[in-house]
Amino acid sequence: MKVLAWLLARVGGGVFVLWAVATLIFFGLRMIPGDPAQALLGGPGSNASQEALDQVRRDYGLDQPVMVQYLVMLGRLATGQFGTSYSLKVGVAELIGEQFWGTLLLTVLSLTLAWLLALGLATWASRGGRAGRMVGSGMEIVAAAVPHFWLASLFILLFSTTLHWLPPISVPGPLGLVLPVFTLAIPLAGFLGQVMRESLADALESPFALSARARGESETGVRWRHAIRHAALPGISLSGWAFGSLLSGAVVVETIFARPGLGRTLLNAVALRDIPVVTGVALVSALAFIVVTTATDAIDRIADPRLRAS
Amino acid sequence: MPRAPRNILLSLGGITAIALLATACSTPEAAGTEPTAGGTLVYASGDAEPVCLDPHVGGNYPQALISTQYLESLVSKNKDGEVLPWLATEWEESEDGLSWDFSIRDDVNFTDGTPLNAEAVKANIEHLKDPATASSTGYLAVGKIDTMDVVDEFTLRLNLSTPDSGLLDSFSQPWVAIESPTALQRSQEENCASPVGTGPFVVDEWVKQDHVTLIRNEEYNSAPQDAAHDGTAWLDSIKWRFIPDSASRYAALQTGDVDVIDNAQPDSIAASAAADTGITELNAPRPGASNRIELNSGKAPFNDERVREAFIRSADVNDGIQSLFFGTAERSYSVLSSVETYGLSAPEYFDVDLDAANTLLDEAGWTERDSDGYRVKDGQRLSLDFPISTNQSIPAEQSLFEQIQATTKLAGFEVTLHPLDLSSWYGMLFTNDYNLVSAPYTKVGPDVLRILYHSDAIVPAPSGYYANLAQLSDPELDRLLTEASEVSDPTLRGELYDQAQEIVLGGYYVLPLYDQQNHYLYGSAVNGLRALPTVFTPTFYDTWLSR
Repeated sequence: MKVLAWLLARVGGGVFVLWAVATLIFFGLRMIPGDPAQALLGGPGSNASQEALDQVRRDYGLDQPVMVQYLVMLGRLATGQFGTSYSLKVGVAELIGEQFWGTLLLTVLSLTLAWLLALGLATWASRGGRAGRMVGSGMEIVAAAVPHFWLASLFILLFSTTLHWLPPISVPGPLGLVLPVFTLAIPLAGFLGQVMRESLADALESPFALSARARGESETGVRWRHAIRHAALPGISLSGWAFGSLLSGAVVVETIFARPGLGRTLLNAVALRDIPVVTGVALVSALAFIVVTTATDAIDRIADPRLRAS
Repeated sequence: MPRAPRNILLSLGGITAIALLATACSTPEAAGTEPTAGGTLVYASGDAEPVCLDPHVGGNYPQALISTQYLESLVSKNKDGEVLPWLATEWEESEDGLSWDFSIRDDVNFTDGTPLNAEAVKANIEHLKDPATASSTGYLAVGKIDTMDVVDEFTLRLNLSTPDSGLLDSFSQPWVAIESPTALQRSQEENCASPVGTGPFVVDEWVKQDHVTLIRNEEYNSAPQDAAHDGTAWLDSIKWRFIPDSASRYAALQTGDVDVIDNAQPDSIAASAAADTGITELNAPRPGASNRIELNSGKAPFNDERVREAFIRSADVNDGIQSLFFGTAERSYSVLSSVETYGLSAPEYFDVDLDAANTLLDEAGWTERDSDGYRVKDGQRLSLDFPISTNQSIPAEQSLFEQIQATTKLAGFEVTLHPLDLSSWYGMLFTNDYNLVSAPYTKVGPDVLRILYHSDAIVPAPSGYYANLAQLSDPELDRLLTEASEVSDPTLRGELYDQAQEIVLGGYYVLPLYDQQNHYLYGSAVNGLRALPTVFTPTFYDTWLSR
């Protein structure tokens, strides 16, 4: 019963968030200056006639009052219709379907790698005493602070143009994923590591660790069997947030490494005022975010029985 | 290939053989000049991914770049700017300039099997004129065509509303290329995804945001006169990729992941020229207008010629170009591209002279300066809005605008730069919310001057695009531009365009910067690459790979 109520609350909250996202985007894109009809007709260097502009405005309902356009959009979304892209003339659902998996693969791999790096660094640093913690913390701060575009450029310079190990652009197969995944994972690992290292240190000094040691458990055993669970808890809670930050990082990474994906779709769509596509991508991202945060909350409740009680 | 000549040389013997061998050694590429068929060339474009592969729809440079590979036009141009027959073999203008007869080739088929004939050309012009097509550039090009008569199967007569001296220039453009009328009858969505032409390649597949695959047209027989060979193209296929980031694009060329890149940035061009990279540059400036800054004369303060001149006299452009473009761009003193035969270059209007600028501003009443050093008149600061399209201005150019901002400040101008995405940038232009603007315009021929500076092109905002961003309104200029667009006599045309450009430059409406930058870089495996001298898009018909 409790679980059902919790789930219903989450679904209701999710629907509200989706409505808010759609509304914000609709009005947000209309507040900034710019004419979708003009962008639709080819943008730079092209010289659209008045007739062509009028035709486009009629075709896309851009000549209707804003509130009418808004209600039409909400009605469509409610029935699961994402509409047609202004610029690409294809169904938005179809477009997102094509681009979604590339971005999902990128974000899931990056999140996994970030976790591995963060855990590895945190356990390594906790072993080295005060000095180790300071070095570990320094590395985490630097990693968390580097911008994606800078890291990407550095990787390309080092691993592509100098060492010729990895392609600077996406190629079929896993090789093309290496640099984009590391670019996204490293700053995130720095952030996750900072959070985990604190609770790992706490856990290692807590009574249960002491008693485990007293039972003759090795230091590695204490670390991996007991302390890591505690260290991971804040990391799990943050993974929902981390997933969201990866989606925004994908905009930069997909552009630099010329990978197809939702991030690049969104960037192009914003530049062209392609409202159906921007709305669709934002809704799908929001939905993915809601699903992941709900899942991490559920995992949290399983991993930490204290949460279920409260 | 190298083995054959060597065998011959050995059999010759004696001094002749040694001499020949020495020649062969000193020019190693001599052995490899025989084109080899086959292979896939990877092209990386930094221009936006076209929203439609049919350049009739919309009509911008990214579409011209790719459609050059699969569509062909009625006429072409050679390096000297002379018009060459292409899908049209001959043409004749009537005495009064009001009708043109075009003879169409009778031996060409579209890649879907539809024959090319006068009906097919007529269907294309109708397609361009149909508002449902939403054509912009192509629509303007055929704007003076009123009606069409199919005289016989391969002769089309065009009846014009007024004479059009730029008609052949217009027809040479990729935005007015000829497509299969059968294919045009499909839905626009379908035609955008796979337009059908007569070109050396055929659109095979389009993976959005990744690449378009073009495969060889095995029936190809309509190469332009100035091509290096006949028959089908050498390459099996082209993978046309979209790589928006310029550094990644150049890195991919260096690593050999791609063969040719466009939109090469000044630093990459300089780096590839300085080091022994095996990378070659193809500099192919676009025709039409030069890259220039327009001064909005439609409102204060630039409605005063003295203020315009003061701005231009205080803007130091040359030093900025030198340092920011690493010698890859040459200063222009013309509103027309250097590839346009009727361009007038007038450096005398653009000498930097700060004293003269200060005197002019004093005369114009901007006598006071505020505590920040900016000029003030009636409590108003001498402020200028400069919206910049970050989609169209490369980083080096944006830095150049900052230099101009810094140098004109010495005379007391406050220039506010607004870096904007494309839609917001259009938004500021449409609401007349700008004093300075730099907008590219590519078109073949000097008639671009009429599009950019005839007062008809000041449509009252906010109804839509207007090309006359300088808001230049001068009846004498209108008369010259209209007359020039109607006379076909080259001498008279040249005189009229000279006078027209004198008005534009001498009135300080425009600050020319350089030709529209159009640099391609290609790797050592690429041979026989050239840019088609119409709008200087690369053509891969003669290109072959040695690897």
